[in-house]
Parts: sequence; structure tokens; C-alpha cells
Amino acid sequence: MRDKMRTKGLVLILLLIAGQYTKAQNLDISGFARTYEGVLFNTGDFGIVQQTLNLNFEQRGNKVAFKANPMIYLYNADSLNFRMRELYLDLYFDNFDIRIGKQQVVWGKADGVFITDIVSPLNLTEFLLPDFNEIRTGVIATKVNYYLGNSTFEAIWIPQFTPTERPPPGSIWYIQPDFPVTPTWDFSRETITPGLESSEVFLKYTALTSAIDFEIMGAYTWDDNPTMHVQKEFGVDPVTMLPILTGINITPEHHRLAIGGGSFSSEIKGVILRGEAAYYNGKYFLTEDILQPDGNIQKDYLHYLVGLDFNLGPVKLSSQFIQQTILNYDNNLLNEKTENTMTFLARYDMLRETLHLELFSYIGLTNEDALIRPKITYDFDDSFSILLGSNIFVGDKKGRFGQYGDNSMAYLKIKYSF
Amino acid sequence: MKTIQITTALIAMIIAMGFSPYVTGQSLTGKQIIEKVYNRPTGDDQTSNLAMTLINKSGAQRVRKIKQFTMDLGDVEKSIMFFLSPADVKNTSFMNWTYDSDQSDDQWIYLPALKKTKRISSDSKSDYFMGSDFTYDDLGDRKLEDDTHKLLREETMDGKECYVVESVSKDDDYMYSKTLVWVNKSTFVGVKKEFYDEDEDLLKILSIKEAEEVSGIWVIVNSEMKNIQKNHRTTIILSNIQINTGMSDSKFTERMMMRGM
Repeated sequence: MRDKMRTKGLVLILLLIAGQYTKAQNLDISGFARTYEGVLFNTGDFGIVQQTLNLNFEQRGNKVAFKANPMIYLYNADSLNFRMRELYLDLYFDNFDIRIGKQQVVWGKADGVFITDIVSPLNLTEFLLPDFNEIRTGVIATKVNYYLGNSTFEAIWIPQFTPTERPPPGSIWYIQPDFPVTPTWDFSRETITPGLESSEVFLKYTALTSAIDFEIMGAYTWDDNPTMHVQKEFGVDPVTMLPILTGINITPEHHRLAIGGGSFSSEIKGVILRGEAAYYNGKYFLTEDILQPDGNIQKDYLHYLVGLDFNLGPVKLSSQFIQQTILNYDNNLLNEKTENTMTFLARYDMLRETLHLELFSYIGLTNEDALIRPKITYDFDDSFSILLGSNIFVGDKKGRFGQYGDNSMAYLKIKYSF
Repeated sequence: MKTIQITTALIAMIIAMGFSPYVTGQSLTGKQIIEKVYNRPTGDDQTSNLAMTLINKSGAQRVRKIKQFTMDLGDVEKSIMFFLSPADVKNTSFMNWTYDSDQSDDQWIYLPALKKTKRISSDSKSDYFMGSDFTYDDLGDRKLEDDTHKLLREETMDGKECYVVESVSKDDDYMYSKTLVWVNKSTFVGVKKEFYDEDEDLLKILSIKEAEEVSGIWVIVNSEMKNIQKNHRTTIILSNIQINTGMSDSKFTERMMMRGM
């Protein structure tokens, strides 16, 4: 309760300060207010009741620019969540720029899939449902961009690691792990102390040319998802006198990853061809191999995508094929050797671009499951829109999407932009 | 986010409907007239603010404001647009490279919410630009050889002696069955243009309302496209026009798309 009061107080103070500063400095201010309600098909319960205020404060000069992007989420009746999505300073020089502060970084050519786009971790507390501009978490970083014609060299240093945010127990998006006995958890190694040795480094070269756009990237980072190190305890069954599992101790721990990859985009006879790939060196995977004492083994891993964007008359279409492959696979791994997924997008704008029809789907080819997202948006005017949509989870309950079969819902978003 | 997909800078429209400083005394063919309209000087670079107003049949208005930069680099013309309003497209930018050769345009859009520069297809000529009555093709710099041009007659339009030239696309799938353009005989300014649909019914009329001379170059600053069949229209007004300012090629890069003006 005290934390909630503190958050509300902080929000109020920040808004007051921002309001006064805006008046004083003639800042550019924009944003939106949005109400978002979702009803679960299964129960008729509200799966989502969320009110959002997003504010952008920006001041741009020839040499210096500043941006602050506070975002306030009110969940249900009285659960306030304040996020400073971005807060940074830009310094502009002749051939290079420096950005310092909390920032979101987006890399790669994929849509809705995160392959080389690994600088900003994800907020998956509502699975993949938030708009893609809201799903990333800002990182405190220093970013330097050096420009040479239409090429850019980018270097990012992140002194403090930020992991992926997962849904907490109690959330409809939380999946209870299935263990034969109740586990005990040891979180002592989950947090990484900020420091030079624990910092992350990302490098990227980008070229934008007439024939093709491409990026080449490398990273020395932490795995955003912790490895679950498992220690099993055995006893003896007093009846059968055979060994039995009596306890499981799980220690989540993030590990270092070296990642290399790239992406490209090109137009061929009116069709945009896109591709993206990343090679992960020594990623941990869960295994049933009894020779692995903590239930994990390191394997190299490949994640790639090819995609097409094209028009069929007035309808805009896009499709992507994604494959994740564990290299040097052995049959004791809990993950499949390969996991194939597709995405499909169709969009049609009508009534002078005031009515928008869209269908976006993730289709899990390996587990035969899918997330289907139809939506219709109507713009009453340039600042006020209403969106009616649905998130439909279908297929195998073991699949990434099918596991949320009970969370299929219809939702309504009303948004005012300013 | 509304779809914002553009084939070229709006300035290109001025090229297509523009001025030629000299008049020849000889009789001209339809092709020669259109060639003179297309080949007017536009300067090495241009900067302007653009206000596009969409007006529906009940008179309700929606306004889009854009800052645009264009530069002629010889065999390629580069342009970049920054969207100023409405709020949901603010800070979006669009870059286009148009080639003198038959090579297709290269186009990119930067979406600030997604923090991403995306290459987009230039193969959407018949789509309407931001919900307006201008298609991307209407706004693009059409090539002389794309159409067969025929001088139909000479007549007076708004007190000006004009050539009336019919242009029919050589591409059977083109969105218009024909266009008729009224060209001022003394200045080779486009005064009016009619667009006919695939059934050869009149679809739209473009009216040039005002032009002004900037740094010795005539620029159309006020024009209106009216859809006759649906009874809605779009006006485009240019302001703060600057020509030959010595713009740098570095303006037309991903860096500037992301950074803004």
C-alpha cells in the first residue's frame, strides 16, 4: 500500500514539474490517453482493464536534444504503474551523435519477431499482446553513432543489465512450471551487479543503398532469460527400496552470450524481400542428460527469418517464416531441435484512410498452434480513434500460443492523441 | 498508425504542372507541349512547408502538415518529408530517391513509435496519399514516354489561351483511361487537368489556383483536386518556399530521417 502511495505521489510530482517546465521552456509535448478493456471468451471476465497516459516531452536544437517519455498505466481500479520509458539527451556533432540515458533501441528488419533486436529487453507481462512500440523496455545506455555517407557505425554500452520482464504469479499470462515435486527456489544468483565487468556491448554497421539495406551486428551481452539450474535430491522409497526424487532446487542465473548476426531488405519488382539471422554462441538449454549435474547444457543456436511485403490491389500483405535451430543437437534436450513459426499480416485502409481492417497472426508450425489477431479501427477524427479487436489462441496446449487457449478475448481500445 | 506510403515528393507535382519561360511561335505536337511542361527548371534544391486539407462532401476538414526538402543530384532526385501533424503521424518521415533512368524509386519510411526505418515498395501508384484525392501517381513525376500525347484543340480557359492535350497511357492496366490537360500557351503552365476512370467517365479535376515566383522559378502554391464522382476534394498549399539554398546531400540519409528537421 505504501509503495502504491509513493508511486502516485511520484507521478503527481513529475506531472506538476513537467507542466511547469513545459510552460517555462516551451517544450514540444505530445502523447495519448487510452482506455483498453478486454473480455475473456471463456468466462466473460475482464482479462484486461487498463487506462494509459503516455507523454512525450521533447526539445530539439541543432546541437542538443532532450526527450522524456513517462507512461502511466492504471490497471483495474487502483493499481498504478509508472514507467519512464525513455529519458535521454542527444548531442549532435558533424559526423557523429551521442545519446546518453534511458533509451529504447530497435535493430533488425523483422516485424513482431526479435532476432537481432536484442538491445532493449522485452516486457512480456502481457505476453506479446502490447503494441510493439510498448513491448520493449528502456535501457540505461550510451550510444554513439558515426556516419559515413549512407553508412552508420553504432556502438552501445550498457553498464546495467536489464532482464526480460515475465508475468508474475497470479497473472493470466503466468504459466505454472510443471514439476514432479514442489521445488525450492534460490534467487541469490539472479541479479547481476552493475559494473564494468558486467556491462554489455553492442556493435552494428548499417548501410542504406539503392539496391539493398543491410545491417551487421555483434553483441557481448547477457541472456535476457535466466537459465534454470536444477539440483535434484533423492531419497529411498521405504517400501520398494528404490531411489525416488524427494526435492528440486532451482537457481535462476543469467549467463553471458556472444551473438553475431545481420539483416537485409531489398525491393524486387514491387515486392520487399527481408531477411534476418542471429547466431548465439553457447546458449544454455535444459536437458535430461544425467551427466549434466544441473540439468543444463550449452549449445550454439541459430535464429533466422525471411519475409515478404507486397500489395494485392489495395490490400497490403506481409508474411514471415521464422526458424529457431539448436546446433549439435542431442535427444536429451527438452527443446525441439527446430521450431518453425510464420507470421501473416493483411491490412486494408478504406473511407479515405479513416477505417482500417487488419489481421495479424503468429502461426506455430511445429506445435500446430496460433495467435490470431483481427482488428478494426475507425478514426473519428485526426486525434480520436476506436479499435475493436480480438486475440484468439488456438491449437496444441503445449505450444507457445496454444498454452493460452483460455485467454482468448475480445477487446476495445479508445485512444485520444494530442 | 495510418498508412503513409508516398511515391515521391509533392514538389514533383509542380514539375508536372509547371511553367516554361519561353514560347515558340511554331505549331507544336501534343508530345512537344507536354515535354515543355515537364522540362521546366525547378532549381537545384527546394524547401517548403505543405498543408494538405481533406474536405469531405459535408465540408468537414482534416489537415496534414508536412515540411519537405528536395534536391536534384543530376541522375537522381532525392526528397525527404517530415510530418508535423496530425498527432498520430507526428515525427514520421519519408525519403524518396527518384532516378532519371528506368530504375524504380527507392523509398523508406521512419516510424517514430517503432523507432525503425523501413524500406517500402514504390509499386503502389494507384493508392491514395494519406487519404487525400491525390494518388501517388498524381504526385509523381511521370515520364514523357509513359503516355501517348495528342493535341486536341486550342481554347480559352479562365481568360488564358490554352492547348488541350490528351494523354493515354501505354500501359493497359493504368488507373486512368485518359487525362486531359489545359496548358497555358504563353507560359506552358498547367491550368487544369481532368482524370478519366477505366470506364472513361470523368473521375477527378485538378485546378491550379495560384503560383508565385521564388528565386526566378515559378512554383504552384495553391491547387485543388476534386473527386467528381464522390464529391470530396483536397487542397494543397505551399508556404515558406526556398530554392537554391545550397542544401547538402547529407540531408537525405537515415540519420536525418530519425533525427528530424
